Amino acid sequence: MATIPIPSSSSRFIFRPRPKTLNPALFSRHTPPKAPPFSVLIRALSAQAVAAAPAAEISDNQVVKPQWKAAIDFKWIRDNKEAVAANIKNRNSNANLEIVLGLYDKMLNLQKEVERLRGERNNVANKMKGKLEPSERQKLVEEGKNLKEALTTLEEDLINLRDELQLEAQCIPNMTHPDVPIGGEDSSKLRNMVGSPLSFNFPVKDHLQIGKDLDLFDFDSAAEVSGSKFYYLKNEAVMLEMALVNWTLTQVRKKGFTPLTTPEIVRSSVVEKCGFQPRGENTQVYSIEDTDQCLIGTAEIPVGGIHMDSIVSESSLPIKYVAFSHCFRTEAGAAGTATRGLYRVHQFSKVEMFILCKQEESDMYHEELIKIEEDLFSSLGLHYKTLDMATGDLGAPAYRKFDVEAWMPGLERYGEISSASNCTDYQSRRLGIRYRPLESPSTTSKKGKTNQAATKFVHTLNATACAVPRLLLYILNLDKKKEGIGPMEKAIARFHSRTCLT
Amino acid sequence: MALQCRLSGTTIQTLKMARIPIPSSSSRFIFRTRPKTLNSALFSRHTPPKAHPFSVLIRALSAQALAAAPAAEISDNQVVKPQWKAAIDFKWIRDNKEAVAANIKNRNSNANLEIVLGLYDKMLNLQKEVERLRGERNNVANKMKGKLEPSERQKLVEEGKNLKEALTTLEEDLINLRDELQLEAQCIPNMTHPDVPIGGEDSSKLRNMVGSPFSFDFPVKDHLQIGKELDLFDFDSAAEVSGSKFYYLKNEAVMLEMALVNWTLTQVRKKGFTPLTTPEIVRSSVVEKCGFQPRGENTQVYSIEDSDQCLIGTAEIPVGGIHMDSIVSESSLPIKYVAFSHCFRTEAGAAGTATRGLYRVHQFSKVEMFILCKQEESDMYHEELIKIEEDLFSSLGLHYKTLDMATGDLGAPAYRKFDVEAWMPGLERYGEISSASNCTDYQSRRLGIRYRPSESPSTTSKKGKTNQAATKFVHTLNATACAVPRMLIKRKRDWSWKKLLLDSTVEHV
Repeated sequence: MATIPIPSSSSRFIFRPRPKTLNPALFSRHTPPKAPPFSVLIRALSAQAVAAAPAAEISDNQVVKPQWKAAIDFKWIRDNKEAVAANIKNRNSNANLEIVLGLYDKMLNLQKEVERLRGERNNVANKMKGKLEPSERQKLVEEGKNLKEALTTLEEDLINLRDELQLEAQCIPNMTHPDVPIGGEDSSKLRNMVGSPLSFNFPVKDHLQIGKDLDLFDFDSAAEVSGSKFYYLKNEAVMLEMALVNWTLTQVRKKGFTPLTTPEIVRSSVVEKCGFQPRGENTQVYSIEDTDQCLIGTAEIPVGGIHMDSIVSESSLPIKYVAFSHCFRTEAGAAGTATRGLYRVHQFSKVEMFILCKQEESDMYHEELIKIEEDLFSSLGLHYKTLDMATGDLGAPAYRKFDVEAWMPGLERYGEISSASNCTDYQSRRLGIRYRPLESPSTTSKKGKTNQAATKFVHTLNATACAVPRLLLYILNLDKKKEGIGPMEKAIARFHSRTCLT
Repeated sequence: MALQCRLSGTTIQTLKMARIPIPSSSSRFIFRTRPKTLNSALFSRHTPPKAHPFSVLIRALSAQALAAAPAAEISDNQVVKPQWKAAIDFKWIRDNKEAVAANIKNRNSNANLEIVLGLYDKMLNLQKEVERLRGERNNVANKMKGKLEPSERQKLVEEGKNLKEALTTLEEDLINLRDELQLEAQCIPNMTHPDVPIGGEDSSKLRNMVGSPFSFDFPVKDHLQIGKELDLFDFDSAAEVSGSKFYYLKNEAVMLEMALVNWTLTQVRKKGFTPLTTPEIVRSSVVEKCGFQPRGENTQVYSIEDSDQCLIGTAEIPVGGIHMDSIVSESSLPIKYVAFSHCFRTEAGAAGTATRGLYRVHQFSKVEMFILCKQEESDMYHEELIKIEEDLFSSLGLHYKTLDMATGDLGAPAYRKFDVEAWMPGLERYGEISSASNCTDYQSRRLGIRYRPSESPSTTSKKGKTNQAATKFVHTLNATACAVPRMLIKRKRDWSWKKLLLDSTVEHV
């Protein structure tokens, strides 16, 4: 794979692919050294959207088997193929709709054929029940045998076809909200701006220098112990990180979110079902040796997995979680000035919000999440802008995505500090999370037979409430004279006074 | 020279390590080896699938102290090369060999002192021989400077060539010998404090007891049941998402964990410790230098695929690495850190009732204290650490006892180890909640952490020449200040939790 130039925006921090140009050279069947069947790509984690084919063992004449299946609505795709095709194009996705539709038709036909043959075989079996001449019987036995063989072959083919269809279809990105601007990064639309860019009339020190001077963090020792892009936080920075996490969890909890801490090691299949690709080249995901486990890059993954393969009652929705975890990212391929010090690290603390809700309510909860984020950042005294990200900048799972970028005085530009995505049913169709709508009076039916409403897939949303250490960076550069009455402002004021930042 | 690596007299075999029965005590929670019986079948050269040279065992992480041989690529006639070298004082070992031998025996260690001493002598002799040959080669070179008959010159050239060849071979042998010596010697455990009781787990001595065992006059529920009823943690979903022994903390348990960590960091900071958070991914060589074995079978250590990195099982490792390969000034000592991190342990081989729910998990939060100090002060700081721990646990209202662990229960790095066991009402027995070890210079000789003593007036010397005192190795100590989630288990019913929460929230946000 050619090295992909990384755009200077720090969107990748929030662990989404940034599809740019379609490059067929980037199609790769990546065969890892290990034997277990890997499941299909969901979303490439390099700067371009590569619909990487499933990494798996491929024997001669054998179709790769997906490790798990997404409950994809093929009929809907076929009935809306123009919209789906346009969406694929707008998102610069490598999904191949023609192949999917072709396979789907083929599969439907094969299914009919299989049913037909089964019917014939039943006929033969029935005929053989009656009295027959030996020669007749022999003919039927032959016919039965031929039918059985043909059936076995076709049934195998059907299985392979379904697998192939699944693999191709899993590449298809989520549909897009009609208000989302179409285009690349520059087409993203401004939703909101709070405050204005700060400048100082003295040269702003590089944060790494400040960190050394005030003994707040240590990258040098960490480079020896662990490698580059690792760090120790020290002294007041430690207390500030704890205060930030504590405060964020408390604020969000007040809004009805259930606090959680999560496992940071998860099965790779869960990573894939959420829309990430653990085993591609340039993957963002660390894998654990000799296991099918990975380190999480965001708490979205273990939280998404909580209700995997289950049906929740409608009355339990919405389910709202606010989860604190450490996050681990390889940052493979990241380079340049947007990667020094705290801007791009392999390990960091993050508080993440996650909502499961009814289909018709996800837009509303998306607005709720972005409002919560904006309230948090305003309380912290940040100057920031909120963007409605354009189609070229959405990851495969996101129906719509709002990014918050804060002004970074040291770099004299904006940098992403959070992201709020509405994934509608993309993740839930893969994770298998459904709800049973409450019965309405009109569905009570025929005498004696309970008519349960068919289950639907929940919609899932996720949003960053707090990603240390970029927030540390902003706080380092905040207006130091600001004194407020809120607990976070007090904590920040204390931080500044103890670190003697004047 | 074809080297045959001898381990206790047995030649190399590729053996699978037998399953080691795990004692029911929860000491393993604190990530130390528990040497029990010496079993030669357990010697194994573990050759991992990867190509890069692995370094030598330091300490097995199964219930028995296995001086596992280095995992490395072994080519024909090639000695395994240690990936890094410990600054071992061979001369001291030789001069104190009875004491070293007794110590090895008391600790049920598989280190082979005879081999080490044999190799050391061999090495000294070989060194002498090399020096002798070098001397002769210099002579020859000098002779060739003068005027000589052609036949004489030719003879000298021949001689010089022979000497050079012999020297090259011997120098190679010397390198191999040094490597072999290093590998064998790294297995030798730390010496032991004279007051440490000799024997197995049962010989550990009681130092202190605070409070007394209590029970409730109603049946005590299993903590997993309580957790479900109060919606405090979820093991079931985590088993699907991650595997067994993983969990989510929920609701009050989350706030409680944060309060505990916050409070502990604050308390210890007041005593002059520098707060830290650490990387949780480290190079495997650092893990080894601290005395752990990342790549043995039944290892406690998770490794990252396609890298030389591992997940930490304790913050002791990344903190120990901060001053790796450096010389600190004496005036900077003692250096005291209190570090918060998540810890990851495979718990390979752990089974039984002492492993349900929160008692044995793959991932947990921990606050760890670490001290680097002068050699003569480590005993004093060991006492300081255990005192801090006892104060913390008393403040938390725990009933506990402090033990001076016996020789059979010390890991290879520890000179002395105090364990604190708290009373667990649900299980009606004591369970380990913390451990404080004085590792003296075991880790620092491997991590390469030294200090330069301040000059005393008597060392100012000859005119114009600065006489710096020779460097010494620091002593390192580590102690658990707070290991969630076992702390959560014990305190479910105590109202003091509310006060703790309140104190922490008010103080720190």
